[in-house]
Amino acid sequence: MSGTLTIQQAGHSVVTDLGRFKGPRYGLPVNGALDQFSARAANILAGNPDNDPLLEVTALDFRMRADSDLLIAVTGAPLTLTVGGRECPQWEPVSVLAGETVALHGMNTGLRVYVAVHGALDAPTLLGSCAPDTVVGFGLKLAEGTVLGARKTVPPIRQPYFDLPLFRLGLTRPGTSASPVIDVTDGPDIAEFGDTADLLFNTSYTVSGRSNHIGLRLGGALPERQSAAEVLSRGVPVGAIEVPSRDELLVLHRGRGVTAGYPVLGVVTSRSLDVLAQARPGHTIRFRKTTVAEATARHRAAMRELEALRTSVNTVFGLLGVGAPASWRELMPASGT
Amino acid sequence: MTAATPIEVHESGDAALRVVATSPDRERNWAAVHALATWLETADVDGVHGAVPTYDSVLVEFDPYVTSARQIRAFVLLGMRQLDYVGTPARTPRQFDVPVVYGGEYGPDLQKVADHEGLSVAAIIALHTAKSYVIRCLGAPAGSPMMDGPDFPLPVPRLKDPRLSVPAGAVSVAGRQAVIAPASAPGGWCVIGQTPLTVLNPDKQPLVPYMPGDLLRFHEIPAAEFQHFAGLELEASA
Repeated sequence: MSGTLTIQQAGHSVVTDLGRFKGPRYGLPVNGALDQFSARAANILAGNPDNDPLLEVTALDFRMRADSDLLIAVTGAPLTLTVGGRECPQWEPVSVLAGETVALHGMNTGLRVYVAVHGALDAPTLLGSCAPDTVVGFGLKLAEGTVLGARKTVPPIRQPYFDLPLFRLGLTRPGTSASPVIDVTDGPDIAEFGDTADLLFNTSYTVSGRSNHIGLRLGGALPERQSAAEVLSRGVPVGAIEVPSRDELLVLHRGRGVTAGYPVLGVVTSRSLDVLAQARPGHTIRFRKTTVAEATARHRAAMRELEALRTSVNTVFGLLGVGAPASWRELMPASGT
Repeated sequence: MTAATPIEVHESGDAALRVVATSPDRERNWAAVHALATWLETADVDGVHGAVPTYDSVLVEFDPYVTSARQIRAFVLLGMRQLDYVGTPARTPRQFDVPVVYGGEYGPDLQKVADHEGLSVAAIIALHTAKSYVIRCLGAPAGSPMMDGPDFPLPVPRLKDPRLSVPAGAVSVAGRQAVIAPASAPGGWCVIGQTPLTVLNPDKQPLVPYMPGDLLRFHEIPAAEFQHFAGLELEASA
């Protein structure tokens, strides 16, 4: 049975997924959840495949009403989550009864929160992804009164003992800090910056209010390119650190244009891009040099942690009779139809 | 079998590699990186998201949980050897004709470009419409057709203060490159004109009608004709 929910206060929220991975080939940015770890964790905790459509709520308060019984999970930046007025934990599955309001408020330390709904949300796709693309003008627009379809409803899970949490799934929540350390590997054009490249690692940078999903703008001592030759447009990776002006450092995030003509000084690691997704204007960032091998190892460790979480969630959900894998796979269209 | 196109493979973080073709022949480099991108797409390797080929380089993006920079590097070298053996597949290019209103509100930087080049506005328009351009790659924003620019005497500098919004259809130049903006977006290139044709259609697959290798030619229309073309989509003429 499918259900619906109604947006009561959209704040700054979108329906997204892990990104449009086929986009860059056609000149479209990958986009998708900026904090990929939190987005994956939310979907896993809600019993969904990692890449299912979910809500990304940025900075502002958000409210929605469940029009049917739902199971949700809220991850990402710490805030106050209430369901029907009761305070509920983040990073755990939460039962929501039909008619209850889910309210997110007081996002003061991080910047982005993910709300996954068991059975996922219905959303149109472009090149296989529902992620909004502001340049092309694609994506669901959320406003007060928008009704979203959830593909499944889940009868309330009864909490048999008062004051005990429903689940203890043992995931290490990523910490949020106002002065995070961001891991960076050498960029393909680091030599163009000569000795000034080291400034990147000896400087504190302040996140500018002009930062967004395309990139973070950082103020601080800037490495300087040593040559002035025109650079041919090249594909630039998400995480690329560029120095396009004398005012700011630019760290490209998932909304980045796929090609650019600026030399790439460094590249933020996949793990640290999730940390940057939570950096608020005014936060202070320091960069730390790492290697691709080390970055890959850290990314894989995080993904293994999510795999372990998935196993626990599937076990618990199986015991409770909610959304065991077999039942959500049925919702995928059979191949060839 | 031809001699191998020399390439360099550069680390670009934990989820991408930049492959640069380094032969002295620009055409050959361009053909090589596009052939490699197509080969990677055809091979459909686990963990490879896709490839973004431009002029002399291709960015290969991958999932570092499934594969690694080391594995992809080996795979790229294998692809290059195979391509050198079988040659680069040829495709008959299509031709696109693009009507452009130059100058005025449609091309606010036309005079600035003329001044910088030391040419008249008419001479700039004449050079811009003088030849067919090969679409070298699809770039930002939104599948822009990136072309080698017109034969201006000097490279065109980028704007000191990039515009927060450039309209869809804007026809721009920078350095030795030329482009059309398929969608409204911020831009730091000099806008010399605008086409009334719709370039990007999000309801179509692919979103833009051209591919790298296709040919595109501009022709001037008077401002009074802009409205005649409104709502028409850019389509191949041959």
